[in-house]
Amino acid sequence: MRIVAEELNYVYSEKSKKLAVHALNGVNLTIEAGDFFGIIGKTGSGKSTFVQHLNGLIPTDSKHGKLTVGEFVLSNKKCDYKALRAKVGMVFQYPEYQLFAETVFEDVEFGLKSFYPNLTKEEKEVMVKTAIETVGLNYEEIKDKSPFDLSGGQKRRVAIAGVIVSKPEILVLDEPVAGLDPQGKKEFISLLHTLHKTTVKTIIIVSHDMNLVAENCNKIAVFCDGKVAKVGTPKEVFTDYENIKKTGLDLPLIAFLTQKLQEKGIEISTNLTLENFIKEVFKKHEEVKAKQREGGNR
Amino acid sequence: MKDVSFGQYYPTQSFVHKMDARVKILLIIAYIVGVFLVASYHFLGFGACLLFVIIATIFSNVPFSKVLKSIKGILFIIIFSAIIQIFFNKSGKVIWWIITDEGLLNAGFIVARITLIVLGATLLTLTTSPVEIADGIESLMSPLKYIKFPVHEFALIMSIALRFIPTLLDEIDRIIKAQKARGADFESGNLFKRAKALVPVLIPLLISSFRRADELADAMDSRCYAGSKNRTRYKKMHLTYRDLLGFILTAGLITGVVFLNGFYVLLVI
Ligand SMILES: Nc1ncnc2c1ncn2[C@@H]1O[C@H](COP(=O)(O)OP(=O)(O)O)[C@@H](O)[C@H]1O
Ligand SMILES: [Mg+2]
Repeated sequence: MRIVAEELNYVYSEKSKKLAVHALNGVNLTIEAGDFFGIIGKTGSGKSTFVQHLNGLIPTDSKHGKLTVGEFVLSNKKCDYKALRAKVGMVFQYPEYQLFAETVFEDVEFGLKSFYPNLTKEEKEVMVKTAIETVGLNYEEIKDKSPFDLSGGQKRRVAIAGVIVSKPEILVLDEPVAGLDPQGKKEFISLLHTLHKTTVKTIIIVSHDMNLVAENCNKIAVFCDGKVAKVGTPKEVFTDYENIKKTGLDLPLIAFLTQKLQEKGIEISTNLTLENFIKEVFKKHEEVKAKQREGGNR
Repeated sequence: MKDVSFGQYYPTQSFVHKMDARVKILLIIAYIVGVFLVASYHFLGFGACLLFVIIATIFSNVPFSKVLKSIKGILFIIIFSAIIQIFFNKSGKVIWWIITDEGLLNAGFIVARITLIVLGATLLTLTTSPVEIADGIESLMSPLKYIKFPVHEFALIMSIALRFIPTLLDEIDRIIKAQKARGADFESGNLFKRAKALVPVLIPLLISSFRRADELADAMDSRCYAGSKNRTRYKKMHLTYRDLLGFILTAGLITGVVFLNGFYVLLVI
């Protein structure tokens, strides 16, 4: 499913003059099916407001621009939100805080019950099992436990199983790695890649972590003051140093190093992953050495 | 959820906002007494109270619509009490069917009373932040210390509760969104179904409230909080000319109401 936003606007407390907050001021953005899409931007730039439009948590109408997600036209009044939400899963910051049921099984099953009430017990069981195993947990071991007895990392995984159980095509994650230690973060990201390969077509991740988006996303949108300031590959976005500075963001480590080297007259072309950067640096190093040898021979 | 006007602070600069919270609380109590002083059928007294609210609203820089919105929240109560009066008051002359003139008058009287009281109370909460109200009440109640009433703790409980209302509203909003994203449906079905739909919201809310309480207790401990002993204040309250003017206006209102009560009696005679 392709996401297309055209001149999307949103104002919190629109009716009140004093309290009105213009959160989105004409967002134009296309997210293709299959993208691993990153959304970055300063606090308050409208990232959360935008992604909450994608499954109708914040309803929109034709007066506030146009938004389509696959065949769903969200700016149309008759949009079927329930069907949409089954297709667009959303994971919020600290997703473990949404757990409520007595057992892990019941909690994961929650979404199925409301999205697909006609499933048989066996069908549901299969889907819950698949979801729990996809997030890397042992189904038999965990299904009858109380979600509140699990460790923090396990809780987060169960919460995500509860979102992907309805087999969404798009998974939106708003600041999902906040509060995770480096190891937990690494595991979480590899879980996202697994999901991207096996279960959900499109992943959209909102994050403060520039390194994370630079290394994992194929496309990035930079939000600034309720608008999209720039869209492109990580390389396109993070080598536009001026623009990044204007939007108040930091460069990811690799882009920062590339910039510093460039200032010293050393041009390195990298796609901003660590591996590729190291490879390019060695290549450059070899080139320079070769040149020096040539010069010495002469 | 955030559109609830009753009990919400409207942040702006104004004469009324700058008044001492203690004075505002006292004056609102006086105003409510004034509303109650209006004797049966003496609607002119209500006119005086309404004038008072209008003047106070003008001086508070709060839009009238914001103040009036508070009535929406209690519309049900107002209509309910009016209906009871209209249909169940048996005294007086029957005008039509079972409706008596006295019933109609009483209904109007009660509607005016409730509306005016709510308008006044709303004006207080619109112009005084919850923390100021709690501090004001603590200050006003301080004489009770002498009979060993834990005034400070009482005020602390109140201000913590007030402080966490917006946080809890945010939290509820977040949890509702998370569960809606998983297909939860809070808007359809019968009453029983809807009540059941709240379970996935209430349980996470309860758990996070306990977590917050724990964190708050730790934070207070680590800042060496030890109750009211030796505690100094960042914001000291003091009286200004504004408070004096407020006193004069309110005293004028009460006198006016009493006078109008008598005046009406004179008119009748
Ligand atoms: N529930 C709300 N009510 C009023 N204003 C809000 C609300 N949520 C967010 N805002 C405001 O909208 C703007 C955009 O917020 P948000 O989308 O959360 O930004 P981000 O996720 O990029 O930090 C901010 O100015 C914020 O203060
Ligand atoms: Mg956000």
